[in-house]
Amino acid sequence: MKSATLFDVIVIGAGHAGCEAAYIAARIGAATALVTLDTNSIGQMSCNPAIGGIAKGHLVREVDALGGIMGEVIDATGIQFRLLNRSRGPAVQSPRAQADRNLYRSEMRRRLSTTQNLSIIEGEVAAIKFTGTRVTGVELSDGTIIEGRSVVLTTGTFLNGLIHVGKKSFQAGRSGEPASIKLAECIRGIGFKTGRLKTGTPPRLDGRTIDYSKFERQPGDERPVPFSFKTDTIDRKQIDCFIGYTNEAVHDVIRNNLDKSPLYSGDIKGVGPRYCPSIEDKVVKFSQKLRHQIFLEPEGYQTYEVYPNGISTSMAEEVQQEFVRKIAGLENVKLLRPGYAVEYDFVDPRELFATLETKRVAGLSMQARSTAHPATKKQPARGSLRALTLRSHRLVARRLCLTGPRVISA
Amino acid sequence: MYSDDTIAAISTPPGRGGIGVLRLSGPAALQIATSISRSESGGPLNKANLARFEKVTDPATGEIVDEVILTYFKTPHSYTGEDVVEISCHGSPIILERVLRMVLDRGARIAEPGEFTFRAFFNKRIDLAQAQAVRDVINAQTQYQARVAAKQLGGELSARLTPLKDTLVEIIVHLESSVEFVEDDISPEVASTLLVKLSDVTEALIEIADSFSFGRYVKEGFDLAIVGRPNVGKSSVFNRLIGSDRAIVTELPGTTRDALYESTSISGVPVRLIDTAGIRETIDRVESIGITRSRAAIADADISLVILDASLPLHREDLELLDSVPETRIIALNKSDLPNLIDERLCDDTGTHSGQLDSVVRISALTGSGFEGLTTRIFERLSGDAAAERDDIMLTDARQHAAVRKAIGQLSDARGLLEQRELEEIVLLKLRGALASLGELTGETLNDDILGQIFSTFCIGK
Repeated sequence: MKSATLFDVIVIGAGHAGCEAAYIAARIGAATALVTLDTNSIGQMSCNPAIGGIAKGHLVREVDALGGIMGEVIDATGIQFRLLNRSRGPAVQSPRAQADRNLYRSEMRRRLSTTQNLSIIEGEVAAIKFTGTRVTGVELSDGTIIEGRSVVLTTGTFLNGLIHVGKKSFQAGRSGEPASIKLAECIRGIGFKTGRLKTGTPPRLDGRTIDYSKFERQPGDERPVPFSFKTDTIDRKQIDCFIGYTNEAVHDVIRNNLDKSPLYSGDIKGVGPRYCPSIEDKVVKFSQKLRHQIFLEPEGYQTYEVYPNGISTSMAEEVQQEFVRKIAGLENVKLLRPGYAVEYDFVDPRELFATLETKRVAGLSMQARSTAHPATKKQPARGSLRALTLRSHRLVARRLCLTGPRVISA
Repeated sequence: MYSDDTIAAISTPPGRGGIGVLRLSGPAALQIATSISRSESGGPLNKANLARFEKVTDPATGEIVDEVILTYFKTPHSYTGEDVVEISCHGSPIILERVLRMVLDRGARIAEPGEFTFRAFFNKRIDLAQAQAVRDVINAQTQYQARVAAKQLGGELSARLTPLKDTLVEIIVHLESSVEFVEDDISPEVASTLLVKLSDVTEALIEIADSFSFGRYVKEGFDLAIVGRPNVGKSSVFNRLIGSDRAIVTELPGTTRDALYESTSISGVPVRLIDTAGIRETIDRVESIGITRSRAAIADADISLVILDASLPLHREDLELLDSVPETRIIALNKSDLPNLIDERLCDDTGTHSGQLDSVVRISALTGSGFEGLTTRIFERLSGDAAAERDDIMLTDARQHAAVRKAIGQLSDARGLLEQRELEEIVLLKLRGALASLGELTGETLNDDILGQIFSTFCIGK
């Protein structure tokens, strides 16, 4: 079965990078399809629902300047804004904001679904179709063929995703969502050099069981500084985050259970990004450090789910519960979901030109995670970049390239 | 990182000799060598570091081209870091050309000038300073030059620079972290601590840079002008120093009309000696042109050797000459074999004319006495303060010296900015500039190396 439309651009995956690529391609007049496993998870943030930070904030603003979408969406859904490095020069000041996770997702979906030239298609891409070395479209797992002149792969942690919690492991792209197994096979079948990466997330806490008096309050800025140049002011109610610390008792629990950690038992083969070390990594590698910082970040206005930033872990569930409860203020905390590590395939970035197009297949491009650039917050920059280069003949700038390691932190 | 292709070149100098060596480097080196050689024992060649007797045979005709010694160096334990095969043929250009042609026909490519060393650098077998030293060793014209270059080849310059670079990276890591990771619970060192480290690095670099004042002479040589009044024996001193009767010597004043140049070495340092026309007032047109040239030679020379005739009282023209020659001069009292009228303090009836006893040497160009002392004095004058540490590493290359000077400049800027409590990112610009300058000597420090250091110094990330 073939779709009636011949698309100019097909984007696979609707995370930060996919949303930007699809939005910009559509906005500059390309007939665009955004293919996602689940339309409800468009703009879903699997890690903490934060945007920006040092260096990343710059990128979000650049994406905004290039006509991207995320700056406006975070301005519309952020619940805590802070401009970092205020005491330093303007070149290194960076905006950071936390979103209401659900609001962000629905706002992103709302805006994309009303974007002209953009079709949102629900389905699992099973294969990249091509003739000779030129991409021609994608095939969904139900056999549907979507034809397109170019394909942008923004698959995040989904390619051959494998989640680890303690000694348990199972295939998944992220918690509760299936991995892309067939697509991963197809990518390897084309002959791309691939490898495995690993990233992780902390357990989610029930905010009603936290003793906030043991934590230090971290309010947002009095006057939020927006990301987007189109946003004038942000008047939404701002909420507080909280700062606390682990302690030696926490570290002891982790040390005593390292044999049950997939990271240290050898179950996990993938390399972790250095900016996102798990708490077990921190305890082992920086054993002289007696405490590690934790930020408690509420996930939204209407939820009591709290994200404990700083204790990403893949220890067994019962170990997670044990060490979290050794943290001052979390003695009686209830875990809503355990943290986990996820391993996934990436394509060797040397397979790409600086325009992010693959060298093997003309018209096929890849984004951050899929090419070993595992830092969520810079993917949109690559997404919008690719969308722009795809249509570069329409732009004054004939060629936009990533120039060197301009993103120097995660 | 390794190259895909295999390069080949004749590594011995052109012409005939006992042995001529052809070198192959690259992934196909062994296979190519195997394809053209036939072993006496018939065994495979793949045993490393073993010299083997082989017959190079043209596979097309079966004809034996030469009997050779073939040595295989297995990657990474070779000069280039790749598979290397050296074929020692008989030193006939005809045979070497033929064997070279054979390996080129079998997939090797002719090496670009310096490409073996480039590959060694590329594969991190040697750093930039060492690569440069390879050239200096090959080009050395004196034992002393060879000794200095051999030290650099051994990596001594890099060994001196590496800890300084490490400290610099450490400072960068702390400043960079305090800009980049404000949200992380890290405690970078305070400015005062960093300032101390910065001063230490700068001082050590200044010491290295200063070694160039002598080092450049070692590499490039120096000009020594022999000057004096007519008939004090300049040309005899000149001839004595070069060890041959190059300049015409007569008892007639003004024999040397034009400046005469000759190269030799003094204590292993190359020197260009300049014999000049005697300086006096004259109405002879040719002689006066020669005297003008003498003055130009004095101005251009690194050192002037002023010759005085010790058997005569000091002449007004001697004193005028001494006044006009820069302080770097050395004064030689020639004709010490005759009864002397002036002593080392240049005393005569009119008084003492030099306070610097150390710049005066007593010699006799006729007998050769005192010349050892003269060359020692010249060497000391060249090496200056470096004399005491002559065996220490020294910069011999202008490019290297410029890079170190540039780094010193950037570091002192950085110190100034840090003292004024300027923003870290501004200070970092200077520090990164300094690091890049040092990188020109030893190879680059990549951004990724700095990041790696940040992540291993601090527990960063959430």
